[in-house]
Amino acid sequence: MTDFDRHAGVGRPVARQVFRFTVAVGLAASLMSGTVFAQSVDLSQWSPEYVKSIAGSTTYDTAKDCGAVVPNDYAGRVSYWYTGPFEADPEISHRQDAAFWEAFKVAYPNIQTDVQSITYNELLDKFRTALLGNAAPMVVRLQILGGVEFAAKGYLNPLKPEDVGYSSADFWPGALKSVTYEGVGYGIPTNNETMALIWNAKIFADAGLDPESPPATWDDLVIYSKTIHDKLGIAGYGLVAKQNAGNTPFRFMPQLWAYGGGALDEAAPTPGYKEVWINNEGSKAALQAAVDMYVRDKSVPVSALTNTQAENQGPFIAGELAMVIAHPSEYARMNDLASKATGADKEKADAVVANMRYGLMPTGPDGKRAVVFGGSNIHMVKSDFVEGGQVDEQAVKALICMWTSPEWSVKLNWASSNPGHLGGFRTEWMKERLEQTRFLDITTSMLPNGIPFPVIPEAPEIMNIIIPDMLQNALTETMTVDQAVEDAAMKVQAIIDGSGGI
Amino acid sequence: MSTGQAIFRDVPDPPAPKRPSLGSRLVKSRTDYLYVAPAILVMLVVIAYPIYYTIELSFFNTPASLALSEKQFNGLDNYVTILTSSIFWKVTWQTIIWTVVSTLFAFLLGLGAALALHREFAGRALLRGLLLIPWVVSAVAASYVWKWLYHSDFGAIGALMVQLGVTDQPINFLDNTTTSLYSLIVVNVWKEFSFAMIMLMAGLQTVPDTLLRAAQVDGASPWQRFWHVTWPHLSSVSTVTVLLLVVQNFNSFIIPFIMTGGGPVGSTQIWITHIYELAFLRQRWGVGAAYAVLLFIIMMTLGYFYVRALTRGDDQRAGA
Repeated sequence: MTDFDRHAGVGRPVARQVFRFTVAVGLAASLMSGTVFAQSVDLSQWSPEYVKSIAGSTTYDTAKDCGAVVPNDYAGRVSYWYTGPFEADPEISHRQDAAFWEAFKVAYPNIQTDVQSITYNELLDKFRTALLGNAAPMVVRLQILGGVEFAAKGYLNPLKPEDVGYSSADFWPGALKSVTYEGVGYGIPTNNETMALIWNAKIFADAGLDPESPPATWDDLVIYSKTIHDKLGIAGYGLVAKQNAGNTPFRFMPQLWAYGGGALDEAAPTPGYKEVWINNEGSKAALQAAVDMYVRDKSVPVSALTNTQAENQGPFIAGELAMVIAHPSEYARMNDLASKATGADKEKADAVVANMRYGLMPTGPDGKRAVVFGGSNIHMVKSDFVEGGQVDEQAVKALICMWTSPEWSVKLNWASSNPGHLGGFRTEWMKERLEQTRFLDITTSMLPNGIPFPVIPEAPEIMNIIIPDMLQNALTETMTVDQAVEDAAMKVQAIIDGSGGI
Repeated sequence: MSTGQAIFRDVPDPPAPKRPSLGSRLVKSRTDYLYVAPAILVMLVVIAYPIYYTIELSFFNTPASLALSEKQFNGLDNYVTILTSSIFWKVTWQTIIWTVVSTLFAFLLGLGAALALHREFAGRALLRGLLLIPWVVSAVAASYVWKWLYHSDFGAIGALMVQLGVTDQPINFLDNTTTSLYSLIVVNVWKEFSFAMIMLMAGLQTVPDTLLRAAQVDGASPWQRFWHVTWPHLSSVSTVTVLLLVVQNFNSFIIPFIMTGGGPVGSTQIWITHIYELAFLRQRWGVGAAYAVLLFIIMMTLGYFYVRALTRGDDQRAGA
C-alpha cells in the first residue's frame, strides 16, 4: 500500500487536483507544441544538418493563432511603413508581399490598412521627419540598428514578443538584444541574416590550394590571399574599406571580433556598451591583418578604399577575385550577372558560378567565429507622434502577430533573409526554401555566431564613420596600426562621453 | 551779373514733391502685392523658415539620444567646436583647392571652346552638341562612369596607360590621398566646362564685328584683337560665369560623395559633404547647422557680388 492509498479519503481531492493539473499541463504542452507559444528550436544543436532536419516538421495556422491574440472579427485601422519589394527584387518577393496582404485581409477583414513601402535609403529620413511633424505611422519596420535611435528619443512604445502571443525564446537572443534599450524591449525581430565567406574553387585549385576548403582562420585567409595573388596575379580577398559605407563594418567587424576585439564591448556575453575595445590587442591584430593584406602583400584590390561589395561583384564574376564576404543572395546575384553576359564572358561567368562555394566565416586565433547579426525589427510608435494622435493597439498587434508569425517570417523573407521567428525554420516553406536556394544552409548555420552592433543611438557613427576611418588611416599608412586604433578609441570614448568634436 | 545772381539767390527753391507715405504706397500698389503674394508665401515657407530653423539649431546641442524637441541650448559652442577643429581647416583648404582649381580650369577650357566654336567651320554644330554632353549628363551617372574609368584595379584609363607603356601598374587615382582630390577635380571640370562655354559663346555674340575688322585693318595681331577688343566685351559675362562656377563648386556634393565618399582618409572631403556627414550620417544636427550657417554666409557674400555684377550695367545706364 502506498501513502496515496493510505490517505485515500483525503487523497481523492488531491488526486483530482493532480489529475486536473496533469491534464492542464498536457493540454498546454500539446497546444504549445504547435502554436505560437512553442520553444521553437534547439539552438544548442544548430548546424546545417539540424536546420535541414527540422524544416517541414511543424504546421501552423497563422490566422487562428493570431486570432487568439486579437479576435479575427476585430474592427479597426492600422498604418504601416516598411521597405517592401522594389523593381530590382525577385518576382517571388513581390508575390509573397501581395500574398501577405491578401492573407491579412482574410484573417482580419475588418481592419483597414494604410501601408507605405519606402526604399531602404529613404525610410529612416522619412520616418524621422514624420515623427517631428507627429505624422508617423502606427507601425514601422526598420533595419536592425534603426530602432534604437527612436527608442532612445522616446518615440516608440515598449513591445515584446509576449505582447503578440509569442515567447521571447522564439527569437534569436542577438535579435532581441538589438531591440532592447536600457533593459526595455521596443520591437520584435522580423528577419535575421548573416553573411558567409564565398570563394571561387577554381582559383583556389589554380593557386595550389584545396578547392573545397576555405581558410579556417583569418590568419589563413591572409596567407590564402597572398598565395593567390603571388601565383595568379589577381586579388585574393575582396577587402572593403570605403568611408561612410555600411558595407565596411559588416565585413571588418567579424574579423575584429574573431581576434577578440570590438568597437565597444558588443562581443561580450553581457555588453554594457561603456567599455572601449577598439584599441585592445584583438582589435590591433585584426587591423594588422588588414594592413598586411593591403600594404605588405598587396593581395587585395587597390580600390578597397573606395569599394563596397557592389564593386567586388564584377571582378568576382570575371574570375579576377577569389574570396568575398557576402549575403546568401550573392549566389542569385552572380547567376543573374552570368545570365546577362555574352560570348566568352558568358562562358567565364558560368564557370565562376559553377565554382562558387560558401563557407563559414574564418575564426580568430582562439577559434572564435563571429559575424554581424543583421536583419530588421518591427516597432509600435507612441500615440503622440502618430497621425491622428491615436494608435489602435489591437489592430497594431494583429498586424505584428501576422507579420512576425513563423509562416510569414519565412515567406516575407524568401529571397533575402531568414525568419526572425525561429518557428519559421520548422515550416514546410523553410524546407522548400532550403531546396530552392543554394548555400542557404551555410548562411543560416552562421546565425548563432551573430553579434549585433552596439545597441546605442551612436552606433551608426561608430560603425559607419569611425571604423572605416580607422581602417583608412592604417591602410594608407597615414597612421601606424597603434596610432589608428588609439585615434579611433579616442573618438569612440568622446562619443560615449557625449562630446565628440567634428 | 551781380544783380542777376541776386535775383537767382532770391528765388526760393521749388518745394520738393511730398513723398507719399508707406501706407499709401502699399495701398496704391496693393494689386501688385497681391500678384506676388503667393510666390512670397512659398518662399517664406520653403526658404526663409528653413534658414531661420538652421540658424536656431546652430545654437543647440543635439545628442543622438535626444529627440530634437529636447535639444540643449549651448550658445556658440558649435561654432567654437568647428572653428577650433583641425579637421575643419583641413576640409576648408580642400574646399578652396576644389573650388579655385575647378573654377579656373572650367573657365579656361570653356573660354577656349567658346572661341574655337565662334568661328565658322564644317561640323561646328555637331562639335558644339558633343561638347554639351558633359553638362547634360546626370552628375550621378557621370560619377559612376568616371569611378569605373578611374578604378585602381580595372579602370579603362589605367589599362590604357599600361598598354601604351606609360606606366607598369594602373595609376591609383582614387585610392591615394595625394591624387584623389585632383582626380575628382578633373571630373568636375569635365562636367562643368560646357556651362562656361555656353555663357561665353553668348558673350561672344555681343562683340561687334566692325570693331574686330577695324582692328584687323589697323594691323592688330589675333592676340591683340582678342585682348583689346574681344575680352573687354566678355568681362561682364566672365564675372558672372566665374561667380556662378564658384557658387556651384562650393556647393558640389554629388561627385565627391559618390566617387569617394569623402575618402580616403578625408582627402576628398569638402564643406558640403562634411556638413552632410555631420548632420545626416552622424546625427549632429546642431554642429551641422552651424557649419551650414558658415557656408550660408559665404554664399550670401558671393551672391551679393553676383547681383552687383549682374546689375552693374543697369547702374551705369541709370547714371548716364
